[in-house]
Amino acid sequence: MKKVVLLMIVVGLIVSLSFSAVTAQTVASSLGMVAAANPYAAEVGAMILEKGGNAIDAAIAVSFALGVVEPYASGLGGEGYAVVTLANGEEFAVDFKSMAPKMATYEKLKELGLSISKAKSTPKGALIPGIPAGIQKMLENGASMSLEELIQPAIDLAREGFIVNDTFAGVTSDNYEKLLELAPEFLKDMLLWEDGDLFKNEALAQTLELIKENGIDCFYHGQIADQIAAYMEENDGFITKEDMQNYIPYVTEPVYGTYRGYDIYAPGSPVSGPQLIAVLNVLENFNLEVMGPYDPLAVHIIQQTLVLEDVDRRYYISDPAFYDLPIEGFMSKDFARLRAMLIDLDEALDPDTYFDYLGDAYPFQEGKTYEEVILAEEKEAAMAIAENYESPSTTHFSVVDKYGNAVAWTQTLSSFFGTVSYIGGFFMNNELGNFASSYRPGDIINLEPGLRPRTTICPTIIKKDGEVKFVIGTPGAGRIISTVTQLIVDLIDFEMPVDEAVRMPKFVGYAYYKDVPMEEGFPESTVQVLEAMGHDVSIYEYPDLYFGGPNIIAVEDDGMMIGVGSIRRNGAASAPEM
Amino acid sequence: MKKILLILIISLLTVFGLANEEKTIAFEEPVLITSGGQSPGALQMMVLAKTGGINYEFVKDIEPTAENLAAFKTLIIVIGASGKGLGAAGIDVDTELERLVQLVNIAEEKEIKVILAQIEGATRRGSSSDKITDALTDFADYLLIKSDADEDGKFTSISEEKKIPIRFFEKTSDVKDILKELFL
Repeated sequence: MKKVVLLMIVVGLIVSLSFSAVTAQTVASSLGMVAAANPYAAEVGAMILEKGGNAIDAAIAVSFALGVVEPYASGLGGEGYAVVTLANGEEFAVDFKSMAPKMATYEKLKELGLSISKAKSTPKGALIPGIPAGIQKMLENGASMSLEELIQPAIDLAREGFIVNDTFAGVTSDNYEKLLELAPEFLKDMLLWEDGDLFKNEALAQTLELIKENGIDCFYHGQIADQIAAYMEENDGFITKEDMQNYIPYVTEPVYGTYRGYDIYAPGSPVSGPQLIAVLNVLENFNLEVMGPYDPLAVHIIQQTLVLEDVDRRYYISDPAFYDLPIEGFMSKDFARLRAMLIDLDEALDPDTYFDYLGDAYPFQEGKTYEEVILAEEKEAAMAIAENYESPSTTHFSVVDKYGNAVAWTQTLSSFFGTVSYIGGFFMNNELGNFASSYRPGDIINLEPGLRPRTTICPTIIKKDGEVKFVIGTPGAGRIISTVTQLIVDLIDFEMPVDEAVRMPKFVGYAYYKDVPMEEGFPESTVQVLEAMGHDVSIYEYPDLYFGGPNIIAVEDDGMMIGVGSIRRNGAASAPEM
Repeated sequence: MKKILLILIISLLTVFGLANEEKTIAFEEPVLITSGGQSPGALQMMVLAKTGGINYEFVKDIEPTAENLAAFKTLIIVIGASGKGLGAAGIDVDTELERLVQLVNIAEEKEIKVILAQIEGATRRGSSSDKITDALTDFADYLLIKSDADEDGKFTSISEEKKIPIRFFEKTSDVKDILKELFL
């Protein structure tokens, strides 16, 4: 009987959340579209669109909702970056990356006998979270609905509960030991949540209620800041209330590039938009269209490009508030021309020498052409490289409304469950792990108070002739740029339908990987030719979350929007019916 | 005629299966809980034993020596191969299997009863987990299996073929009460 009542409550909740939204893995609609890593969250966004909200309103509601239904991947304790293009032709980005607290220094860690890799799994690994501040900036820049209206669906989900899916159960299972030790109250009577369970989070509902009643200010200056500071003090974390009060998000311009006549709007440093543009600039030098997605030569060219631009990223992307780096040069077509000339069409670069191929973007920052640079034979010595493990966590969602406004938004805790510091029903990030493992003179990701660490997230909007064509992004850490690049090439060069582009098996080019990880599904002949070229191919089962979980939207010429949720993470698209 | 024969066979198998399921066996404490594949299942079993008031010790990767088993009357091996768990332990499935086979051999010598448990269900079935199961069933005195792990009938077949009593359950939390019954 209890089970029946429970089921009725859940069905009731789903009905109340959904209005008449259509939710599935692939959805088509001309009324607006949301694609997210979880159907509940996608549906929340569609419901906001249906109520008359715009893409920014829907994105805010989805961000809150994802923090409830994917508490392991993002939430109030996380960070991220969003790119927005408006129907009136304007665009902006919101950088709500986490920031190192005042006490977080190499000296302090040394004094405590800790390394970055040890500290990142403790409360010391948490940086000052940015998601609530990012939401505040979105509210101030184009939202038409109130915070109270946009946060309410997340409160309802947290309070009334939702059905656990196998992604939730699997990720929780993978982190059970840590959860049992550090956040047993998150578990189900200290056991794992199972597929089909009803998960409620009253503590988070109460935290969200506080924000609803007192505004986002209470997260950084009020009761929630006090809660975080008290937890950190009790558990030897670095974050203080003063750190919380000092956090600032940035409203900025997205970085801009072009690819085969399309306009690309991507996030700026310290995340990977400039790298994506650099990759696409290199690929523009090759006629991929005549090859095809399974052609080993196309895979080879894309993989080698990804590696080269991953090497460059490590020297040219960091917090712009701390480092003046040649980003324009890195994103220039002339720099890309030189990088393209390094790709040998019948032989892979030796992985042991990847870092010998660092490109010098500085001359291009000054506007030099590639011919001038070749003649001048300028060269820079390589710097030390930070070792950097990145987890396949994070979450991305895309929104387009019926007016033509679009939002690409990626948010994360870094690793799944972050530091596992569980405060007020949410987890704190462990972004500390994205700094250099130890101090290295000249390195641009050395830990410094106030610095925002470099990461690979890349929410991107692609337009053609002034109209939104694609809203793209994915989790997947070091694999993010590989997956986003392949999506763009599949959609633009190979004119692939958007659902097929999401389903396509993926591969990776990354400077720290000596092998080429590939999802099952490429023809054997493709793999054999790649191996003959010198690539060490590692085959992964299909589909594998390791390669990310893109949730993307394509807008067709007639205005029809096709939303696709990730097949690698139970994602969904949802559209209003009215 | 064929139909009657088939019904008869099915009936016999059912009765046999039920008999296996209903057969009671005495287990004694103290209990050693260990992992068979380094998945989180063993840790869950520890939580269940603790909340069920069982006198247990939990050593996820106990070294297979007579000394280490000397204090125990029952050994619970929680089967579930996890790539992440094996990786964290710095071993592969074959090394884990070697440890487990040595462990059950010592248990047999010392007349320690062995319970093989699969408490993570269908999501923890796979070739590596099945390899571990197959290597240990000859030593098992009891099978404690989450129902959806037996969708292909593997555990039912093992129970029938090797005449090992089997107990199915739906939810992991059900194991707490089952343990209480088994160790009464």
